[in-house]
Amino acid sequence: MRSAVPTYTRIEVEPGLRQIILIEIVFPMVLLLLGISTGLLQVLFRSGVIRAPSFLGMNYYQGLTLHGVINAIVFTTFFAVAFGHAVVRFFLNKPLPLGVQWLSLILMVGGTLAAAIPMLAGKATVLYTFYPPLRAHPAFYFGLVAVVIGSWIGFFGWIPAYRSWHRENPGVKTPLGVLGIFATFILWIIATIPVAIEIVFLLIPWSLGWVKTVNVPLARMLFWFFGHPLVYFWLMPALVMYYVMLPKVAGGKLYSDFAGRFAFLWLLVFSAPVGLHHQFMEPGISSSWKFVQTVFTMLVAVPSLVTAFTITASMEHAARQRGGHGLFGWWTKLPYVDRDRWLFAYLFAGLISFFVGGITGIINASYSMDAVVHNTAWLPAHFHQMVAGPVFLAFIGGSLLLVSTLTGKEIVMKGLNVWVPWIWTFGILIFSLGLFVGGLSGEPRRTNMGLTYTNPASPLYQPTWQFARIVGTIGGVIMFLAAVLFFIIFFGTLFSKKRTAGALELPYSELVHDEDVPAVQSFRPWLVGAVILLAVAYTGPFIELAQQHFPGSPPYIPSSPLAQPNK
Amino acid sequence: MIEKRVAIAAVIFVLALTGVIALAVRTTGIGLPTCLTDVRPFSQGKVIEQAPKRYEIHYVARMWKFDPPEISLVPGSVADIYLSTADVTHGVDIIGTNFNLMAVPGAVNYARVKFEHPGDYLVVCNEYCGLNHQNMAGVIHVTEKAAAPPPPPAAPAAGAGKAVLEQYACTACHSVDGSAGTGPTFKGLFGSKRVFADGTTTIADEEYIERSIEKPSANVVKGFDNVMPEMPVPPADIHAIVQYIETLK
Repeated sequence: MRSAVPTYTRIEVEPGLRQIILIEIVFPMVLLLLGISTGLLQVLFRSGVIRAPSFLGMNYYQGLTLHGVINAIVFTTFFAVAFGHAVVRFFLNKPLPLGVQWLSLILMVGGTLAAAIPMLAGKATVLYTFYPPLRAHPAFYFGLVAVVIGSWIGFFGWIPAYRSWHRENPGVKTPLGVLGIFATFILWIIATIPVAIEIVFLLIPWSLGWVKTVNVPLARMLFWFFGHPLVYFWLMPALVMYYVMLPKVAGGKLYSDFAGRFAFLWLLVFSAPVGLHHQFMEPGISSSWKFVQTVFTMLVAVPSLVTAFTITASMEHAARQRGGHGLFGWWTKLPYVDRDRWLFAYLFAGLISFFVGGITGIINASYSMDAVVHNTAWLPAHFHQMVAGPVFLAFIGGSLLLVSTLTGKEIVMKGLNVWVPWIWTFGILIFSLGLFVGGLSGEPRRTNMGLTYTNPASPLYQPTWQFARIVGTIGGVIMFLAAVLFFIIFFGTLFSKKRTAGALELPYSELVHDEDVPAVQSFRPWLVGAVILLAVAYTGPFIELAQQHFPGSPPYIPSSPLAQPNK
Repeated sequence: MIEKRVAIAAVIFVLALTGVIALAVRTTGIGLPTCLTDVRPFSQGKVIEQAPKRYEIHYVARMWKFDPPEISLVPGSVADIYLSTADVTHGVDIIGTNFNLMAVPGAVNYARVKFEHPGDYLVVCNEYCGLNHQNMAGVIHVTEKAAAPPPPPAAPAAGAGKAVLEQYACTACHSVDGSAGTGPTFKGLFGSKRVFADGTTTIADEEYIERSIEKPSANVVKGFDNVMPEMPVPPADIHAIVQYIETLK
């Protein structure tokens, strides 16, 4: 079979779908203003620049909850759905059912607002991992469920288009971007089922007072069953952009079609049966099962390495097309700061932190080494390299691309725009350097350290951590500067004058090697593999939990050391 | 063909990494947390000396202190630490060791640590456990004379009383406007008559307020529970708090 390469570069989009995509981009971008400002506040609190429990009425931990929920759950889910609409609509060139997509949008917006109100009111200061027995207001849990169900419905709306495209194009491979987005959302459904069980059957009845106690070890295992595939749900839309768009905007072709398909399908199988690597340091789960999942975790590194080599090969191909030569000399020929190929900068800069994030991820996942870094500042340093690196840069770059093409508006301040991802990446490397160093010396994550550990007046003052925090704060301020520049460019573009009629125009790469490998042309064998591996990885741990009769936990709220009366 | 090569490369990669991990576990002697199904959660901390330099420690994490708050050992001690929590999830990191475990409600965690070098090992909570999380710390003294108490920390500079109250999150439980909370309100406290759970009474003077901060369990006001943690508040800050409470008529 051959790959389908579109014969068009732009398509007209139904006005309804255009509105849906634009709302799904702009709504979370407005929330991101708050999500990123609270990020800046984190570094200022931790280093003791702000030495107080609260700033402008917002508690440190309340801001941390907003930072996590907005940036890591709301922004990412909205973008994945909006980007999926665009990719499916563009590459299949089939209309999508608008009623279904409006329903999806309404559920996601409604759910976000339902969760935002208790968070802003300080009734859900439980961080975005909402570990029981800290209890949030029930609206917080209902809101999260609505966001997830809305995103499922968005995906269901693409299936008819996929089916009918396949009927009309027998013997043609699914477009790579569509395969990537479908793998992303199939994984999302696998991942969100356990967390839905946790929220609907354990947390909501408990937060409403219908049941008195909650089984915390069970809730934690269900949460991390979801928690690791969640990070791949963030990463995979970015990988779609790396495989489909980056080689094109670099001026070349994708080196291998097979590598892309293999990476997406392998991630679909291996990113879920690995959640125990977040629970290495916990009781109630035997070391053997933790070790089994360690091995599976190492297998998730395979598609990341495949991606690294394939993208590098594609970059070399592009650079040689642009006149690069020599063993290493071609590196100088890539369009790093070409204002007309600005998307290259957004995607390529993310690869730098992707590298750091990947290496540190292998360290975290190595069972015994995790004892050194678990829950220290090292952890946020690692995952910011991923979710605030390639994921964030690809998502804001993708948001700018979609807004500009769908509204027919020219991006403003293009010369500045191309520097935004580089400033951001420079900032995040410094930010993470501070957190890596502090983490290795034990600096705890998720802690308002300015009150104690970085407060010279406190008996708990730790000078080593104070130095690391100063470095981290410098990095955080640089990141915030890049974010402010981006917001100016994004909203400047959104409110600028229309230049052309809006349409959907996505860059896509042609292929150097279009391999015909039947194994990566169907989801079915990989889905079977995913189910088998999940059963292998999780049946044992769940039986272990069921055999131990843990005393249940009553609810607690963050401001009191007393169990709350559960009426 | 390419599939076969990819599959072989993947298998080699996995085996190599697995081997490296297994080797690391063996050679570094890192004590991994162990599943304990036969130990019931306990709520009292204790240190049991089973033999010279061999200890069993029952360590309880609670909002927002460790029990026991201070432990003294001699260099070279091997401690079997059993960890439980009395309320929410906590993370317990003994800085400078590889002991870094989660305390999960309902379960008991375990690891063995050897304390080779003398010094004061800071113990921090590294999982968010409520608004006072940043104050939750303990210490393990490793000295030749295990019984020697640590020198008290030097008095830091005083801050404005109101800011200090917020700094230690006192206002999470004690209101300053007379409204009800987990603990008694500070409004009108100074000079008032206090009735305690055991029936005794006193007039709230400076000494009483100081004592209540340093040793909250000494006098528990009638109608309230004995839940306030002993927090590491330096004398200067205590003085600032007392002065501020005096102004809350």
